[in-house]
Amino acid sequence: MISFDNVTKRYPNGYDALSQVDFSLGQGEMAFLTGHSGAGKSTLLKLIMLMERPSNGRVLVGDQDLATLANNQIPYHRRRIGVVFQNHQLLFDRSVFENIALPLRICGFDPTDAARRARAALDKVGLLSKEKLNPVVLSGGEQQRVGIARAIVHKPQLLLADEPTGNLDPKLSEEIMRLFQQFNQVGTTVLIASHDLGLIARMPHRVITLQRGRLISDGQ
Amino acid sequence: MDNNQRQKGAVRVEPHPKRQAKLHRGAEQFRLNISDQGRSYLRHHQEVARFSFFSLLSSPLTTFMTLAVLAISLALPGALYTGLMNLQQLSQGLDSDPRVALYLDLSVNETAAEQLSRELLLRDDVAATELITAEQGRIEFKAQSGFGEVFDFLDQNPLPAVIMVIPRDLSVVSIPLLQSRLQELPQVDEAIVDMEWVQRLAAFIVLAERAVWVLAALFVMAVLLVVGNTIRLAIESRRDEIIIAKLVGATDAYVRRPFLYDGIWFGIAGGILAWLLIQISLLLLSNPVQKLMQLYNSQFELSGLGFIESIVLLLISILLGLLGAWLAVGRHLRQIQPR
Repeated sequence: MISFDNVTKRYPNGYDALSQVDFSLGQGEMAFLTGHSGAGKSTLLKLIMLMERPSNGRVLVGDQDLATLANNQIPYHRRRIGVVFQNHQLLFDRSVFENIALPLRICGFDPTDAARRARAALDKVGLLSKEKLNPVVLSGGEQQRVGIARAIVHKPQLLLADEPTGNLDPKLSEEIMRLFQQFNQVGTTVLIASHDLGLIARMPHRVITLQRGRLISDGQ
Repeated sequence: MDNNQRQKGAVRVEPHPKRQAKLHRGAEQFRLNISDQGRSYLRHHQEVARFSFFSLLSSPLTTFMTLAVLAISLALPGALYTGLMNLQQLSQGLDSDPRVALYLDLSVNETAAEQLSRELLLRDDVAATELITAEQGRIEFKAQSGFGEVFDFLDQNPLPAVIMVIPRDLSVVSIPLLQSRLQELPQVDEAIVDMEWVQRLAAFIVLAERAVWVLAALFVMAVLLVVGNTIRLAIESRRDEIIIAKLVGATDAYVRRPFLYDGIWFGIAGGILAWLLIQISLLLLSNPVQKLMQLYNSQFELSGLGFIESIVLLLISILLGLLGAWLAVGRHLRQIQPR
C-alpha cells in the first residue's frame, strides 16, 4: 500500500528531515511509526499526503508513484487517504455533523447520501447524539473522535494518524487506538505516528522506528 | 521485503495505463458517476454563490467600504468617458458645415449688402448664403452676450453686416481658395473661415480621449488592488477551512470558488453603484448644460450611458471583481502547494 524507496527530504535550509528511508506497508496492515519528536514522523506522513515532495527517492501509494502526480491531481490522491491530526483540525464555525460531512461535500456526494454516511461515521465513533453540537463544546477525547470520523467518512483505503493521542489521558488513548484497530479489521491500511511507547508496546502491531530522519527499525 | 522488490520491478516494466486502471478499481468505494458529479458541481456553485452573498451582507460596513471605493473608481473614468462622448457628439454637429464669414465694409449699406448676398448665391462655388445685417447682428449680440447696454453708449452700430457663405465644395483645399477669392471683393472687409476652433476642438477631444484611457487604466489597477485586498482578508479569516479542505482532497477550483463569487458580487454591486453615480452626476449637470446650450442656440442635450454602455460597464466591473479575486486566491493557493 505504501512503499518508500530510498527517500530523502532535505529542507531548503539544508536540514535533512528524512534520509534514505526504505520501507513498505502492505495492504490491510496496521503499523506504528515512532521516534522522538523531530525524528521525521510528520515529514514521512506529509510525503504520503503529498503535502511535501521528496528531495530524492520515490514514494508509492497504492502502486501509484507520487512523483508522477501533477499538482492538480493531488486532490484525487488525498481523497483515497484519511488523516487524523494531533490537534484534530476541526472547524469551530460549524456543527460536528458539518465537520464530518466536509470531505463528502468536497468529493461531490449527494447531500442525502452524504448525511447518511456522516451519521454512520459518527455512530462508529459513538458520537451520534452530538451531531448538532459545535465541536468546541466537546471534550478533547470527543474532539479527537470527531476528527477520526471525518478521516474515515469517505471510506479511505489508507488511514494516517499523526499523534492522535497526543493530548489524551491513557484510558482515552487506548479507546482511540481501539477505534483504529476496528477500522483495520475491516481492511483499511492504518499507519499511526506516535511517541507513546507504552501504549504501542501493549498493541500487537508492527512498529517502524525513525531516529533523526533515518529508519532504524522497520519492525519486520 | 520481497513485496517491495516485486513492486519495484513491476513499476519499471509495466506501462502507466495499467497502473491507472488498477488505481480506479481501488477507488470504486467513493467513485461517483458523471451525472452525479455534474449535479454536485452545480449544487456547489449555487451553495457557494448564496453563501458568499450572505456572508458579504453579514459584514455590511466592510462590504460597503469596498463597494464605495470600487464604484468611485469605476464611475470616474465612466463619467469622463460619457462627457467625452457628449463632447464628440457636440463637435460632430458643428464641423459638418464649415462656413466663410464675410465681414462687409462698414460703408456698405443694407440694400447693397442684400444685393451682394444675392449675387454671391449665383456663383458656382457657393451653395448658400445668409445675410446677417448690422441691425440683426446688434439685436442678436444684445440678446445673447449680456453686454447689450454697451450699444446705448454708442452713436452708431459698430457691427458690420456679415454674409455667411456655405461653400459648395467643402474640401480642405478649395475652402481657402474660395476664401481668398471672396476677400478680393471690394465690399468685403475680411473673409474668415470659421473652422479653426472646430479643428482645435477635435484635437482637444483626441487628447481628452487619451487622458481618459490612461485614467481608466489607473483606476482598473485600483479596482484590482481593492478587490484583491478585500478577498485577501476574507482568505485570511478562512485560512483553517482552506487548509483542511485541501487536506481532505479539495481541488484548487473548489477552494477558489467562494472567493470568486465574492469577487463577482463585488463586481455586480460595484458596477451598479458606479452606474448610479454616473447617471446622478449627469442628471445634476443636465440643467446647467441645457442653459449653456440655449445660449448657443443649440438643440444639444446631455446624454447618459446608453443600454449597451451600461452593460459594458457592468461586465467590466464583474470581470475586474473576478480577476482581483482570482489573483488573490491564486497567490494564496501557490503558498500551500507542496514543494
